[in-house]
Amino acid sequence: MTPVIETRRLSKRYRGVTALSDCTITVPEGRIAALIGPNGAGKTTLLRLLSGLAKPGSGEVAVLGGTPRQDPAFLADVGFLAQDIPLYRRFTAADHIAIGGHLNPRWDAASARQRLTSLGIPLGQAVGTLSGGQRAQVALALTLAKRPRVLLLDEPVAALDPLARRQFLAILAEAVARGGLTVVLSSHLVTDLERTCDHLILLASSRVQLCGDIDTVLAEHQVLVGPRKDTTAIEKAHTLVQATHTPRQATLLIRRNGPVIDPAFQATDVGLEELVLAYMGQDATIPALGHLTAAGDDQ
Amino acid sequence: MTWLAWRQHRTHAIVGAAALAALAVLLLITGLQMASQYHSAIAACTAAHRCGNLASTLFLGSHAVGFLVIMTLGVPALLGVFWGAPLVAQELETGTSQFAWMQTITRKHWLTVKAGWILLAAAAWAGAVSALVTWWSGPDNALQLDAFKPGRFDITGIVPVGYALFATALGIAAGAVTRRTVPALAVTLAGFIAARFMITELVRPHYMTAITTTGTSPQVPPGSWQLAQGMIGPGGKVLPTDGSTCTSGCVPHGYRAFITYQPASRYWAFQGIETALFVVLAAALIAVTAIVVLRRDA
Repeated sequence: MTPVIETRRLSKRYRGVTALSDCTITVPEGRIAALIGPNGAGKTTLLRLLSGLAKPGSGEVAVLGGTPRQDPAFLADVGFLAQDIPLYRRFTAADHIAIGGHLNPRWDAASARQRLTSLGIPLGQAVGTLSGGQRAQVALALTLAKRPRVLLLDEPVAALDPLARRQFLAILAEAVARGGLTVVLSSHLVTDLERTCDHLILLASSRVQLCGDIDTVLAEHQVLVGPRKDTTAIEKAHTLVQATHTPRQATLLIRRNGPVIDPAFQATDVGLEELVLAYMGQDATIPALGHLTAAGDDQ
Repeated sequence: MTWLAWRQHRTHAIVGAAALAALAVLLLITGLQMASQYHSAIAACTAAHRCGNLASTLFLGSHAVGFLVIMTLGVPALLGVFWGAPLVAQELETGTSQFAWMQTITRKHWLTVKAGWILLAAAAWAGAVSALVTWWSGPDNALQLDAFKPGRFDITGIVPVGYALFATALGIAAGAVTRRTVPALAVTLAGFIAARFMITELVRPHYMTAITTTGTSPQVPPGSWQLAQGMIGPGGKVLPTDGSTCTSGCVPHGYRAFITYQPASRYWAFQGIETALFVVLAAALIAVTAIVVLRRDA
């Protein structure tokens, strides 16, 4: 089966600055993919390339088997929610629902209206006067009402409070469970995504660090804790992601290329957050940023 | 999409319709007064056989309304600034283009509907103003015979429609290129004034070959647009028009007076040529807009 999203060596530059480089990813149908990376890693660029709002500099991108393009058949299948939640500020939520009804072939106005009502969001008030979180809910409801087959969400939960965040992710999971929907969701809130997402795309410094099923990715990695000694043998056999040293102890996060046989090291499984932080920390340009502080800028 | 375009611009439409209605009421009332004033003056002077200097003795209407009518020169610029410039710029600036372009509608369709309706509205609005002004100016033009003169030519007939299309298209294109409303407004205003000035001054006199009449005291037919006058020597040497160098003895040396003009009969040909010129410019600007909107990233 062909994946719903497939890119090959995708690159994009904006005014001479590399936003995305050599990006090769696949997302199979029915996944909720977490697109994770520090600020400026290229998350928004990747989502914009997938939606067709931006054109690739080089490389290939296929969504639902075709290049993102100006074609109603493609546009009807793809929902995109931009990070800054662009809505017509003077229009009400009800106006937006009406606009969607005029511009989309399969528009679920009833569910959008019902969702917003249940959240207590006034339908008849100009969206410019709503709070940031309420606006985000309006935009999410509109994106879902389009009934897309691919949903691209750029930081959709950033403006939501923790409860609304959890509710939103639950709605998303439910929609995916009904079938026929694939989601890519960018965020830097790893804990929220761990619960909902089953696919991981990790970007750092405009490049893909990891892409795949979360369980598989986690199983490929291990934390080795052992005495501080020469680790050349381990580095040769496996891919060292991160090494932390105390005077007596070495902690190595590795991507395994087979079983670890060094009895001096104790191997443990790695959690998603730890893994993500390790890959992000790898790219920290300031040497003082150790593996724990590297992700401190996320909030 | 037409529904969205209407929903977005209905305030413009209401304000525009109200302004047009107010102008129409004012021009109808004063226009009827001027027409009756003119006809009674003609009747009176014909009866007294003293119509020769009516143009200099009779003043029709009021200065205030006359000034307002001259100010309709600015109508196309207003349309370009308030209707054209924000059309695309505002959506790009606020990001709502990303919302619109991710609905099941191509950018081409989006632009066609939005730009199409606004251009149509601008043409209709400017056309209505021009029709009112043309009718209102009828008696005054008959009296002064100045319909072909720059300033009058530009607010009557069909050229205002061409200007309005051009100004609106310029606003749309400037907005698509700059992606910001305020710079788009500035570009539209400056570009429109520059284009209008250059075409009026440099291009319009040459739409058709001007007629030059020479003689000791040449006269132009009434209603002509006079382009130049002066003294011309046997070798084609033109003297300055102030006459200071030629108080005596020019004629004996072979100098003759000349006047270069476009006759009144060419009025509609010039209206047609100038309108076509601005419509072509507008079309080129819309083509630029389409290329920018379709090719550039959102």
